[in-house]
Amino acid sequence: MHEAPIIQLGGLNIDLSIVLMLIVSCIVVFIIARLAVRNLSVENPGKMQNFLEWLVEFVRGLSNSTMDWKKGKPFISLALTLIMFIFVSNMLGLPFGVVTGYHDASKAEIFGKPIVSVTETLEKLHQQHPDQEAEVEVAWWKSPTADANASMALAIMVFLLSHALGIFKNTKAYFKHYVHPYPFFLPINLIETFSKPLTHGMRLFGNIFAGEVLIAVILKLTSLGPAGGVFSVLGLIVWQGFSIFVGTIQAFVFTMLTLLYISQTYAVGHDHD
Amino acid sequence: MSLHWESFVMTLIAFGILYFLLNKYAFGPLFSVMEKRRELIQNQLSEASATREQAIAFVEEQKQALQQARKEAHEIIEQSKQTSYKQAAEILEQAKEQAVRLKDEAVRDIESEKNKAVQELRSELGSMSVKIASKLLEKEVSTDQAQEQLVNQYLKEVGGRQ
Repeated sequence: MHEAPIIQLGGLNIDLSIVLMLIVSCIVVFIIARLAVRNLSVENPGKMQNFLEWLVEFVRGLSNSTMDWKKGKPFISLALTLIMFIFVSNMLGLPFGVVTGYHDASKAEIFGKPIVSVTETLEKLHQQHPDQEAEVEVAWWKSPTADANASMALAIMVFLLSHALGIFKNTKAYFKHYVHPYPFFLPINLIETFSKPLTHGMRLFGNIFAGEVLIAVILKLTSLGPAGGVFSVLGLIVWQGFSIFVGTIQAFVFTMLTLLYISQTYAVGHDHD
Repeated sequence: MSLHWESFVMTLIAFGILYFLLNKYAFGPLFSVMEKRRELIQNQLSEASATREQAIAFVEEQKQALQQARKEAHEIIEQSKQTSYKQAAEILEQAKEQAVRLKDEAVRDIESEKNKAVQELRSELGSMSVKIASKLLEKEVSTDQAQEQLVNQYLKEVGGRQ
């Protein structure tokens, strides 16, 4: 499988593909948002403004379905940023990929720094099969959400945010929730609590990563001759379409769950006080 | 695929920056515009309902005014009818009075004319009969006393026959 281009910079292992894709995602999202609010108008909104307003209304609907509007209001921006960022991230990996192959550890370098992951893997392969020529492929262009680190970062950010809100703003109901309905359920509640961010992030990562893996696999079919080529093209058409669908659904699900988790720790229990 | 805390942190930083930028340069203005539109629509709705209420009040007022005008017109017609009746009666009365007066005057005139004529005739007759009698009796009556007695006797007779 493809390796990540990791270089060492001041003692840190920097994944260049993640850096690149994060920057690209952020720029794309920001450009879309700026285009939408370029000519803001109260009475005569343009197409892009209408689109973004529709998105805002959509996210508002999600928020309203999980918690009180007054409580959900501060998180609309967060949810909007999440849904746009994740959607764009999911889509970025679909149209094409940039992959470089390396045979020689000495050539695997960028900006004068060795790509650590490549050199290590090459060494390992050499040790395992000294007689064969080793090849390592590095993926530069991919969905940032197809990286477990990025997906988990977003999920854990939401986890920390929701629990901080619960602890500081909704203390009584938050701690009561752990022994609900009986103290006997404490371990189950704890497991539930800590499994949430894991499933939250891994669901996103798994869906997008699997999609990209399958695209790579379908592309490999071209090596089977003309029939493989035809099948590969047909398969790509179907799978790309499905990936767009999956990417959209995952962006929606992630945002929905974000609002749901926040509401569960922050907004629940206030009404009964 | 391996876990790197560096990627983790970078994602958080990138997302944080994106959130900040979007909030400041995109969502903030957008939300304010949406809020403004909401207010605008609210205003227009309340304005529309106020205008409708006004219109209803106006129509009611107009109806009442129309009713009033109709009533007044009816009254005026009624009044004028009554005045015209009264006037007609008055005129008729006056005409009658005048006719009666004229008739009375005429009757009186006729009476006085007749009296006058009778008077004249009487004096005329007196003198004429005196002249006739004097012509006839010029020679028969010698004294004045006897003449006068005779004339008076005749005159009395004429007046008594009247």
